Amino acid sequence: MARTCHLMRILLTCVLLLCCTCVGKDRVFNTPLSEQGIAGFGIGLATAGATAIAEIQFADYVYPAFDQLVNEAAKYRYRSGNMFNCGRLTIRMPCGAVGHGAHYHSQSPEAYFAHTPGLKVVIPRSPIQTKGLLLASIRDNNPVVFMEPKVLYRLAEEQVPVADYEILLSTAEVIREGSDVTMVAWGKQLYVLHEVCDMAKDQLGVSCELIDLRTILPWDQDTVCKSVCKTGRLLVSHEAPLTQGFAAEVVSTVQAECFLHLEAPAARVCGWDTPFPHIFEPFYVPDKWRCFEAVKRITSY
Amino acid sequence: MAFRLFASHLRRAVRSQFACHFRQNIGLVAPVTSRGISQQAEFDLSPFRYHLLDEVFPKTSVATRDEMLSYYRDMVTIRRMEDDSFALYRDKLIRGFLHLYNGQEACCVGMEASIRPDDEVITAYRAHGWTYTRGVPVKEIMAELTGRTGGCAKGKGGSMHMYAQNFYGGNGIVGAQVPLGAGIAFAIQYRGEDRICVALYGDGAANQGQVFEAFNMAKLWNLPVLFVVENNNFGMGTSAERASAVTAYYTRGDYIPGFQVNGMDVLAVKEATKWAADYCRSGKGPLLMELDTYRYYGHSMSDPGTRSVFSYLVGHTFCVVSHCLCFVKLSWKRRCPNCKETTRSYSIMQGSHP
Repeated sequence: MARTCHLMRILLTCVLLLCCTCVGKDRVFNTPLSEQGIAGFGIGLATAGATAIAEIQFADYVYPAFDQLVNEAAKYRYRSGNMFNCGRLTIRMPCGAVGHGAHYHSQSPEAYFAHTPGLKVVIPRSPIQTKGLLLASIRDNNPVVFMEPKVLYRLAEEQVPVADYEILLSTAEVIREGSDVTMVAWGKQLYVLHEVCDMAKDQLGVSCELIDLRTILPWDQDTVCKSVCKTGRLLVSHEAPLTQGFAAEVVSTVQAECFLHLEAPAARVCGWDTPFPHIFEPFYVPDKWRCFEAVKRITSY
Repeated sequence: MAFRLFASHLRRAVRSQFACHFRQNIGLVAPVTSRGISQQAEFDLSPFRYHLLDEVFPKTSVATRDEMLSYYRDMVTIRRMEDDSFALYRDKLIRGFLHLYNGQEACCVGMEASIRPDDEVITAYRAHGWTYTRGVPVKEIMAELTGRTGGCAKGKGGSMHMYAQNFYGGNGIVGAQVPLGAGIAFAIQYRGEDRICVALYGDGAANQGQVFEAFNMAKLWNLPVLFVVENNNFGMGTSAERASAVTAYYTRGDYIPGFQVNGMDVLAVKEATKWAADYCRSGKGPLLMELDTYRYYGHSMSDPGTRSVFSYLVGHTFCVVSHCLCFVKLSWKRRCPNCKETTRSYSIMQGSHP
């Protein structure tokens, strides 16, 4: 099978350019600067039967579109008794910290959308995953919010298969097998936890199991709970603020399902409860040291 | 009469000597008369366009030497500050985002000359010029840009979030500051003060729904707000024509009277703002002002203006002849194809050098 090396960014640019050249400028086009308009427009298109892939320039700007996504897109099928739906809608947006993004180019709003039944939320971690998940999201018959960690546009590089393939949504992937601690994350945070796994192995002799959630809503509870039942310890990490972040949802489900298997309270290593800072970003993000401290804490409980 | 003719000839002669980026009749600062040097001069203003308004602005403006020098000083200070910020960004001493105001200096300086220091101003992220004219020293602006505690927002805001007394920033989300401006104006009205709020936004933000919501509330309740579109003809790399169905932004207020001013002409901006501020202050309701201007750099430092999106502008310039003012491709002859005058202005891409 022929393989080509793609940077994630090049992959997405190629996709876009290919779209422009193959399918024409009337099918891939710029919109005016109106997020609410873009979302509503996309929902209308999708409801009428066309495949709509809308892009919001940064996830931080999605909030004007939030009403459309939550009140229209998520509820269309339900409120019309399945007469109408906007399942052909996919909304893409770059999310996450990038090192210099400050307040409005660094946010991770997955928790806001995860609170909305009717939507799906997907976050890939690498070029191969992106292609499979994006194709699956576009073809999925539900509106999907596809968040791409923007720092990976320039950093992630993989040999991506040129053939068509999909990755099943709502399936988590166990990236690294382990026996002592279950670590759950998504997007860019996986790379941080990967490093923490190595640190834990070297310095603490602790074997960590790393799980990529991939789909935030609906998330793969079985894989995570099975893993926690095996290891007895859970660490969840994300860049979004701690309070009401998606880690809270994972932890509360796990404690409900695996209570008697838990050896220690589950740890959440997340961003602090402040607006994403400009100059304090290195202190804000859950870096490997904070995650390592949490691993130490839960293994020595 | 003879003096006016002489002065205008002198103006043209002088202007063709100096490379001039401003496509307007800036005129001489101090025309020399046979009796000595005058302390003031009368200047022709660039033409205005009106929407739901009669032709209320004067055709000329009288300015004193000191006034003109102070405008010049302010504009050059802003220009140099922005150029130095560019250099600091390249040296990685400024991180994050940087949206430069080069080319638009006449907007903030002209407007500030006509509003009061206790009037409120709120704008978007291209805010360094306004931060300066609102009274923040250059040192505090640069400290804020470099993330130091001596900055006007204690280093926590950065380029896009600078604040001062009667200056509400510095806002990152496009268009979000416009309803805020309407709200500030309502607070002023509620307290019975005779101040106004100037709410600025760009041509890209003019397509945001919340802007029209703010228009409606402002007109409904006769709020003392002056909405200002700093139309630099580009929203990032997208030209206004490709993003807006109607590019006459001064008419987009529909039921709100509006007017368009040449944003490169500091005196036109000053005169128009003086009239508009009095109008809003007297309780007649909101106004929509469009400043037709241009930015010489790209949208931000992530898009500094040297990439292919601006390639069609390279090698183009404005003909500086006052009755022509067309946008022409520079030929080796440097002759404007429209008016056949020889022009010596620089390419628009070198706009940062006076």
